[in-house]
Amino acid sequence: MHGTGGEHEALIARVAQDRDRAAFAALFDHFAPRIKAYLIRLGATPGLAEDVTQEALLSLWRKAHLFDPAKAAAATWVFTIARNLRIDQIRKERRPQMDADDPLCEEPRGPEENLAWVQPEGRLRAALAMLPPDQARVIELSFFSDCPHSEIADRLGIPLGTVKSRLRLAMARLRTAMGDGA
Amino acid sequence: MSVRHHPGEELLLDYTSGAADEGVALIVATHLCFCTECRRTVALAEAAGGALLQETAPLAAGALDAVLARLDSFEGSDVRTEKWESTFPGRSSGKPRNDGTPSPLWSYLEDGLSGVRWRGMGPNLAFANLFRRGATRVRLLKGMPGADTGNHGHHGLEYTLVLAGGFTDETGSYAPGDLQMATPQTVHNPVADLGEPCINLSVTTAPLRFNGLVPRLAGKLFGF
Repeated sequence: MHGTGGEHEALIARVAQDRDRAAFAALFDHFAPRIKAYLIRLGATPGLAEDVTQEALLSLWRKAHLFDPAKAAAATWVFTIARNLRIDQIRKERRPQMDADDPLCEEPRGPEENLAWVQPEGRLRAALAMLPPDQARVIELSFFSDCPHSEIADRLGIPLGTVKSRLRLAMARLRTAMGDGA
Repeated sequence: MSVRHHPGEELLLDYTSGAADEGVALIVATHLCFCTECRRTVALAEAAGGALLQETAPLAAGALDAVLARLDSFEGSDVRTEKWESTFPGRSSGKPRNDGTPSPLWSYLEDGLSGVRWRGMGPNLAFANLFRRGATRVRLLKGMPGADTGNHGHHGLEYTLVLAGGFTDETGSYAPGDLQMATPQTVHNPVADLGEPCINLSVTTAPLRFNGLVPRLAGKLFGF
C-alpha cells in the first residue's frame, strides 16, 4: 500500500513533478484550515495562526519533492511541517532532530522501519476513534495543549503515573490496530 | 546497538507534539539516533498527530491567492539541499559530521564531540555548557574511568543520556544510547565505568542537591 492510494499523496506528487497549481490549491483547501485550527488550539492568535499557516503551505510547495509516500502519509508530513514551523516561528526555539545523513542512524533503517502505518490516515483515524475516552483525552491533550505530560496530569487532576499508563495503553492499541506487533 | 533504558512513551509524545522544550527535545532526538524502537514509536505518534488534524478554522479571504502569488518567488531557489521534515530521516541545521557526534548535536557543537572545550572540576570530572533556557540547563559531562560524581538529589528533573563509555548507579548500568531520568525523589551516586571516559548529555530543570560539603561547594561554584 505505502500511501500510494491516497488522494493527498497524489496531489503532493503532482506539485512536486509538475508544479501543478490546481493540485496545490486543492491541498491548500484541505490542509490550510486544519493547520490554522491546530495553531489556534495551541494558543496562537488568529492573525499569527494565519501567517504561520500560509508559511506552512509555502513550505509544502517548496518541499513537495522531498515528500516520500513510502515514509509517511500526507497528513503526517503536513503535521510535522506545521509543528516545526510553530516551534521555529512562534516559540522561537530550535527543533533538534536526527539528520538523514547521520551515519549513527543508518544501519537498521531497513524495510522494518518502513512502517505499517504509512498508509492513508483513514485507518489510524479509525483506531484513534476507537480509543477509550480517557486514553483519547491524554492523546488529544498531548497534541493540542502545548503541555508536557507532567502538566497534563495537573490539568486533569490525576497522578502522573496514570497519564503515563494511559499513554502507554493508547499507543499499544494504535500499534496493534496498525498491525505492528513490535 | 542495544539500548536498555528508554524515554517513556510520554517523553516521546512530548517530543513528537513539540510540547517538550528544546533541552528535552535535544536529549530525546539524540536518543533516537541510537534506538530504532523509539524511532518507530515517534513515527507512529507523528502519524497520530496527522490524523488528529481534523478541526478547521477558515482562512482569511484571499489567502490562497496571496500564497499563489508568492509561489513564483521560490522558483529557481535551491531547495535540493533541504531535507525531509519528519523525525526520520530528520534535518539538522548544523554541518554534517562523520566523527560519531549524533546529528541532533551538530548545530550545538561546532567542532563535534572531539572538539569540546571541557572545563575541569577536579581531576576526574569535566563539563561543557551547551545552552540554557529559563531554569533548564543543557550540558555535556565527562567522567574519567572510575570517576565518582558524588551522592546527590534533585530539585527538579535530571535527564542523562550516555554518548560514550558508561556509568553505574543504584538504579543500574547505562551504556551509549541509554537515557536516565532522575526526579526529586531520586538520590543517586553515579560512577563512571572502567574503560573509555564516560561522556553524557545532561539536561536539568533545577539545580542538583549534593549531599557532601565539598561537592556541594563545588556544585555551587560550577553552577550545578
